[in-house]
Amino acid sequence: MRALIREPLVHFVLVAALVFAGHAAWTAYASARDGTITVTEEDMERMAALYASESGALPSPQDMAAMVTDQVRDEALAREARRLGLDVGDTIIERRLAQKMSFMVSDLADTPAPDEATLRKWYEDHPESYTLAPSITFEHIFLNPERARNTPGTDSQSLLKSLNEPTPPDWRTLGDPFMLQRAYGDLPIRETVRLFGADFARALFSLKAGPEWQGPVSSAFGQHLVHIVAREDGRLQPFEEVRAQVESDWRDDALRGANEQAIADIISRYKVHIEGAE
Amino acid sequence: MWKTLTLASTALALVACSGNKTEPTRVETAAAPETTVPEGATAGYNADRNAYFGDMHIHTRNSFDAYIFNVRRTADDAYRFAKGETIKHPSGFDMTIAGGPLDFYTVTDHAEYLGILPAMNTKGTALSEVPRAKDMFSTDPAKIVAAFQGVGASVRSGEKIEDMYDEPTITSVWQENIAAAEKYNEPGVFTTFSAYEFTSVTTQSEDGGFGGGNLHRNVFFRGEAPERAFSTLDSTNPEDLWDWMDLQRAEGRESIAIPHNSNVSDGQMFRLETYNGDPIDAAYAEQRMRNEPLVEVTQVKGTSETHPDLSPNDEWANFEIYDELLGSYDVSKTSGSYVREAYRNGLKLQEEKGFDPFRFGLTAASDSHVAGGSYSEKDYWSKIGIVDGLPFQRGSVPMPGITDWADQPVNQTTTNAKNWFSRWSASGLTGVWAEENTRDALFDAFRRKETFATTGPRMKVRFFGGFTYTDAMLTSPDLATQAYAGGVPMGGDLVGTGAAPQFIAWAVQDANSAPLERVQVVKVTSSGETIYDAACSGGAVPDAIHRCPDNGASVDIASCETSPGSGAGELKALWTDPDFDPAQRATYYVRVLENPTCRWSTWEANRNGTPPNPALPTTIQERAYTSPIWYIPPA
Repeated sequence: MRALIREPLVHFVLVAALVFAGHAAWTAYASARDGTITVTEEDMERMAALYASESGALPSPQDMAAMVTDQVRDEALAREARRLGLDVGDTIIERRLAQKMSFMVSDLADTPAPDEATLRKWYEDHPESYTLAPSITFEHIFLNPERARNTPGTDSQSLLKSLNEPTPPDWRTLGDPFMLQRAYGDLPIRETVRLFGADFARALFSLKAGPEWQGPVSSAFGQHLVHIVAREDGRLQPFEEVRAQVESDWRDDALRGANEQAIADIISRYKVHIEGAE
Repeated sequence: MWKTLTLASTALALVACSGNKTEPTRVETAAAPETTVPEGATAGYNADRNAYFGDMHIHTRNSFDAYIFNVRRTADDAYRFAKGETIKHPSGFDMTIAGGPLDFYTVTDHAEYLGILPAMNTKGTALSEVPRAKDMFSTDPAKIVAAFQGVGASVRSGEKIEDMYDEPTITSVWQENIAAAEKYNEPGVFTTFSAYEFTSVTTQSEDGGFGGGNLHRNVFFRGEAPERAFSTLDSTNPEDLWDWMDLQRAEGRESIAIPHNSNVSDGQMFRLETYNGDPIDAAYAEQRMRNEPLVEVTQVKGTSETHPDLSPNDEWANFEIYDELLGSYDVSKTSGSYVREAYRNGLKLQEEKGFDPFRFGLTAASDSHVAGGSYSEKDYWSKIGIVDGLPFQRGSVPMPGITDWADQPVNQTTTNAKNWFSRWSASGLTGVWAEENTRDALFDAFRRKETFATTGPRMKVRFFGGFTYTDAMLTSPDLATQAYAGGVPMGGDLVGTGAAPQFIAWAVQDANSAPLERVQVVKVTSSGETIYDAACSGGAVPDAIHRCPDNGASVDIASCETSPGSGAGELKALWTDPDFDPAQRATYYVRVLENPTCRWSTWEANRNGTPPNPALPTTIQERAYTSPIWYIPPA
């Protein structure tokens, strides 16, 4: 989507199509009115782009018409409210104005394109942001602690042996019923601790993935024979894989810093007096 | 403009990515469990249903009482807390959820004067100019208390304080809470509902305070929520709330209400008359059950299962009993205030008059007013705000500077601690059996009453009833599939065949809490109640009076260490009722008991290096209660 929105040709076609659709809709709505509410091409471009970024699709002419209608309605009501003086002395409106000003500041405070070295340094300084937590995909056969007494001959070692033979029995038919699920996919280590406890998680994450059944591994509930389908170690993703995120994070941070500076500059133009303060 | 947009869409894409990462995905291998997964199901879908844990009773700064106790956290903060982030308590310390993120969470601010106090405390608003605002946010405690109690009195009487009742503010804050629920609801990962608390209280106390018989209930919307919330300022009568919910339902906005703290309802919550004192009838029962299929049985402010006076033969009935009316030192009437007695009265009504207004399932919650619930005795912060945020305020340690309980002074703080806060405890969570973690799946489970309540730990419990269950099922890996196929789960009606039913009671401990001591079946009929131990730890068998032997578990009070080796990770039994009468209605539910552990007050005393408060129990036996299965004799 991002790449698409950046494409100048797509940009042009999109705007042209939408301006046409939006203009038609607006003309129909506003022609009977006195006064002028202008919906500019920029307005419509902004609406279309917002729509596209939220929905992932370009707005249809009907969507566009609805957005323009809303815009005209809001504008008319806002003008009427200002005419009646409803905007004066209202905390909410004052806060919104301040908020809007700070948004404007964030547009003003532009950040230059970072060079490769800057990004690499950011990446090295923030490894936690680019590290994936360890996760595991596994199946397990639960063995109740009382199993040995109740069903002799089905101990963990003989089950394990049969499971790893060339023609193993269907694992789903083995073991005791288990109240949680019998197979988990990409379960992060934190979730494993939450569901099975820390000891089980530690033991499970120390096993290697492979076709064979392993164990038993102990949990608070009993013993588990496990088949590790896949295990992802926690790993720092290579810079190349996360470059886009690094750049975005760096920009966010740079922008935040620049914004704070810009707001501080604005405040410095005023003399601030706080009653009661030293 | 395009540059800004590019950044925005990058941010969106990143959010989407990180969401996918934490989402457990189905195993797409050949050996994946063979269940039918419907089109559009979320990851983790399980036709045999998973247990999801959540808290559906949370207040933020927008609740009038929370705000006065310095709570400034928002609905946004509440949901972040439930997802594992750390937030601040008004007393200044950090709160992080015990046991990891929850599966669902719901903000239920008081609808009455919703968001009005924050507006009154914001300079420049019209609301900050009303005389009550000046008093409420003055530095004179007497004025603050009077102003606050006036609000409480208005909530109780239903008479609006005209200059404070600003409907546009209330409605817009209600919309904000809805928006926060929408923002954090993520199908398959984390569920929220649009919800609020209807704050009805009966008794009129002389001092104009908040004391009275508690008839509070939380209202939850399955999907779309209405523009405004029906509060006691519309009517204090819960039956009028049901009428409103019926009306909303007719317009496509489905909801349920869950009453709570019946323990301090002064006998009103399950009384056998209508709100206005008329006899109840079939229409009342039907409307109540349509709107209130569930009851919150335990929370910080005490447990409402039963009371020792009502259940003298239940050795576990004296559990976290709290019976003082809200905001007062008056004791609540016992009869009419507890769930088990209501089940019994319901059966009586059914047998005598043909209807039962109390055929509800069970849930639990914290009722935290500081946006985050404390579910662990080991890490407790009570629930109100700056008045109970610190150990000395809740009586687990003596007042600052004192080390001997004999020197504890009598003042407002110690009196409140003695009567109220020391008698509360870390609780509770609702467990829900649902196919997946979505609004629809959870709400369907609420309607089926396939829910259980815990006093904080995330132990899981299954309960099934049927007529074809066998011992072999207990060791069959597809036990749950067979149990669903051959009977009903908790919350269901079991219609008799003339034969004796079998029940499967099955519990596993919270892997991060204590092992289980025993699993019990509680049987209630119109003529009485019996507690049967169904499964004992250590492979022991219940004796002739249906009791497990002592499993030898102990707690060292000085260190809070528990004895290793006793208790079970899992308990499971095929149980038949030894006193079964095929012609008599009976309500069966399961109670699961953990081994004893230190109560919060003991943990806090140990950390403080002072002896535990001699007036308080040193240990607690955490537990879970399932929704019942109702046996109905053959016609």
